[in-house]
Amino acid sequence: MAALTSAEHTGAIGLNDLEEFRTDEPTGRITLAGLTKRYGGHAGDAAAVDHVDLEIRAGEFVTLLGPSGCGKTSTLRMIAGFEEPTEGVVQLDGAVMNTVPPNKRPMSMVFQSYALFPHLSVRDNVAYGLRLKRIPQARLAEEVDTILAIMNLAPYADRAPHQLSGGQQQRVALARALVMRPKVLLFDEPLSNLDAKLRVQMRNEIRRLQRRLGITSIFVTHDQDEAMTLSDRVVVMSRGRIEQIASPEEVYRRPESVFVADFIGRANFLDASALAAPVDGAISVHALGQRRTVPCHPDVTADSDVLLMIRPESVRLEKVDHAAAESGAADVRDDLGRVLSVMFHGDTVEYDVETDAGTIVASVSDPTAAEIFEPMDVVRVIVPDDRGWVLPHAARED
Amino acid sequence: MTTTVERAALPVSAPAPAPTARRRRSDASVVILVVIVSIVLLLIVGYPLITLLGTAGSTEGLAVLGQVFTKPANLRIVGNTVLLGLCVGTIGTLVGFVFAYAQVRLRFRGKRLLNLLAMIPIVAPPFAVATAVITLFGRNGAITTGIFGWQADIYGLPGLVIVLTLSFYPVAYMNIKGMLESLDPSLDEAAAGLGAGKLRVFFTVTLPMLIPGLAGSFLLLFVEGIADLANPLVIGGDYTVLSSRAYLAVTGEYNTAAGAAYSFVILLPAVLVFLVQRYWVSRKSVVTVTGKPTGSSELITAPSIRIPILTLVGIVSALVVVVYATVLIGGFVKVPGVNNAFTLDHFRFVLAGLGSKAMVDTTTLALIAAPIAGILGMVIAWLVVRKLKRTAGLMDFVGMLGLAVPGTVLGIGYALAYMTPTTLFGIPLLPPLAGGAAAFAGSIAIVLVYIARSLPSGQRAGVSALQQIHPAIEEASTSLGANGATTFGKVTLPLIQAALVTGVTFAFARSMTTLSPIIFLTTPGTKIMTSQILAEVDSGRFGNAFAYCTVLIAIVLVVILLINILIRKVVFRGRTHQR
Repeated sequence: MAALTSAEHTGAIGLNDLEEFRTDEPTGRITLAGLTKRYGGHAGDAAAVDHVDLEIRAGEFVTLLGPSGCGKTSTLRMIAGFEEPTEGVVQLDGAVMNTVPPNKRPMSMVFQSYALFPHLSVRDNVAYGLRLKRIPQARLAEEVDTILAIMNLAPYADRAPHQLSGGQQQRVALARALVMRPKVLLFDEPLSNLDAKLRVQMRNEIRRLQRRLGITSIFVTHDQDEAMTLSDRVVVMSRGRIEQIASPEEVYRRPESVFVADFIGRANFLDASALAAPVDGAISVHALGQRRTVPCHPDVTADSDVLLMIRPESVRLEKVDHAAAESGAADVRDDLGRVLSVMFHGDTVEYDVETDAGTIVASVSDPTAAEIFEPMDVVRVIVPDDRGWVLPHAARED
Repeated sequence: MTTTVERAALPVSAPAPAPTARRRRSDASVVILVVIVSIVLLLIVGYPLITLLGTAGSTEGLAVLGQVFTKPANLRIVGNTVLLGLCVGTIGTLVGFVFAYAQVRLRFRGKRLLNLLAMIPIVAPPFAVATAVITLFGRNGAITTGIFGWQADIYGLPGLVIVLTLSFYPVAYMNIKGMLESLDPSLDEAAAGLGAGKLRVFFTVTLPMLIPGLAGSFLLLFVEGIADLANPLVIGGDYTVLSSRAYLAVTGEYNTAAGAAYSFVILLPAVLVFLVQRYWVSRKSVVTVTGKPTGSSELITAPSIRIPILTLVGIVSALVVVVYATVLIGGFVKVPGVNNAFTLDHFRFVLAGLGSKAMVDTTTLALIAAPIAGILGMVIAWLVVRKLKRTAGLMDFVGMLGLAVPGTVLGIGYALAYMTPTTLFGIPLLPPLAGGAAAFAGSIAIVLVYIARSLPSGQRAGVSALQQIHPAIEEASTSLGANGATTFGKVTLPLIQAALVTGVTFAFARSMTTLSPIIFLTTPGTKIMTSQILAEVDSGRFGNAFAYCTVLIAIVLVVILLINILIRKVVFRGRTHQR
């Protein structure tokens, strides 16, 4: 009882009773093949989802990430069955789902607005789906009580949804989906209505819950933090197409395209020229006044224009003596820059630095007061070669 | 399409149909609902209107139609009708606006009373006003002759305009009041902050924003004016309008083709106005409904505005009060306005005597029709807002036709369509529902026409209620395994119960008070109160008519109360929700 009270206090989900809800057989493999959605139904209409191919392993947590209008929600809704694909197939464990109505698919969806039934109590909300299955009364009550206890909602079972806080409503929505023991959990931006701190807390709870239960989960979001922290793999989408499918780290460090690099985190792109053909996934380029050997995208070739991507937090700045800089004509160094602006963020200080290769954003973490530069200071821009990433120039789209 | 995707061996609970089946089966329960609704709509408005149009388009019908616009006598009737419509539209909108403005913007006592006065016509039969006006201001009027000794002639255009204005101004009042309330007062304040005086604010900000509402009200009242049948019959005198001409053609001359032709002439502008009101005015509306309560603006206390407006409101209100008091008292006196000795004879006749059959029949049929109309309205609203895509507009339109089509026209359509057995490809489907040989003495047709007339108000309430409910709530139900019909019953309907109550309530009130389509459908075997009232008025027994009116109003009020309690407490077991 004491444990329950403390969990209740923190609002955390009690994970001890979870084993009961664990799915043992590895089911819930989702395959999307050539999945396409055109609204309006004419061949000429722009596709909201354009020939998406995706294989999601049983038990995997996959995030669909992209800006609004990129087709991520349409993709999720086609998996759920709320939208009919114009072309292509949705498969669950190898069986085509296209003709199965959404209420017959063994999937549960958690909605952005929670979509709790306002006229039903918390208990009745959670019991709703089980009642439709005509499960015996006693077992139904037991299942509902168990999930309410797991989600720490037992004290609120008889309340109406509007009497709960946002986080509690979110947990009811999750409980209502979980109690159905779905093969696949679908999340449609479920955290975007919560405040920042609660969002982080719920995010961690969802991840722990999903790890323990092993339910295949597909999570739609436009928040890269959510995508990075939750997922086994991130699917970055843009204009209805998949830009990249990879682990969070790979998406961040080795983006497939300028779009991905730009959308996930922030990035500086420096014009660079290739000096030789790539060897072992790295290429020799000339950038910021130096010859460097930097990891590169497989499409990069010796005679293509290339871009050197560098994250702001990888850029280091070093103070340069004014007099030396003025008289440094003998030693022409293109890696010098001038501080244009300084922004103090608390944990970091961010600089816009003007260089010959364009304006570079540098983010320096936790500097002392003495280390902070002033505008118009001349600085040396240091880019560690192994933190860069070379992309083909053509990949830049505008 | 990708058909080459391998079909793995892993069995799943759901059957896996061939990947070549491109289209998903629509939810069977929704398909069934659509079919049922379509059949009902076809029965209650589609078939009668098609028959009417067919008859108007027949050789005889076309001959009459041609004469409508060529014969001087007919042209005068058309002119009369249009003039009446214009007068009622203009004066009714003006009165409605003054009432609404006073209610929303002025400071005075008695606002609830004013609101209540505007609600009475909804529950009162259409010619209560006409009969009372004759009693008060007619050739032997209690006021005109009794007090002033005049020999006033209230019959004709002046009487019609007074009566129709008093009957229909509440439509304009409700319409404009809603718009005034949703006007953001900060706009007025913004204008005032820029230096505009109150009058200037009114003419440059308030009024322009109300124009769609005013235009819409005018059009609605115009149609009510040209389509009304009861009042022209009672107080029209020699002033013949199209609806009374059509009535005469059908019931007096037994010339159904002519009736259809005259009806067609009313139908055209009525449907046109409906379309304009629905698709143009509503789009032009600049009033933004955000759903969040706007702060109330400072109420006006300036005498220069209050005195003229409140005087007008007072005069009209007094008239309304006197009229309905006459209805109430008239039932208790021997010959209203002439011999004012107290008697209970009229009520004895209505409640226990020969007249009681009408009371029982009418209430029974209205009680059958109201829940059907209410539920049907919700189902149509749900299909239109949520389930249908391309055909949504069509179903919505057909559902609203019962309101758009004038009652006279609908009644004649019913008489034409259901006088004979309904057949499809020679297979008899329905026995005759109207006329002397009608099944169940015409009561089926009456219930159908009740449903047709009262469906739209529920449908409209349902549509606007549904538009405020996030679709994800229904998708959540689907995601948890419910099919379309289950979702509708367990989630949607409880959430729009207020709209359902409105729908059923209006349906009952409308059914009880409707006359124009009923006149063409009553048979000796089924007596309807409204047409009995007309008969009593025709034969000069005003006392009986007033007693009928009072009883009818009382029944409507009691039943509305019971319906509200029943639906809220029993059907939904007191489950409500707050937003």
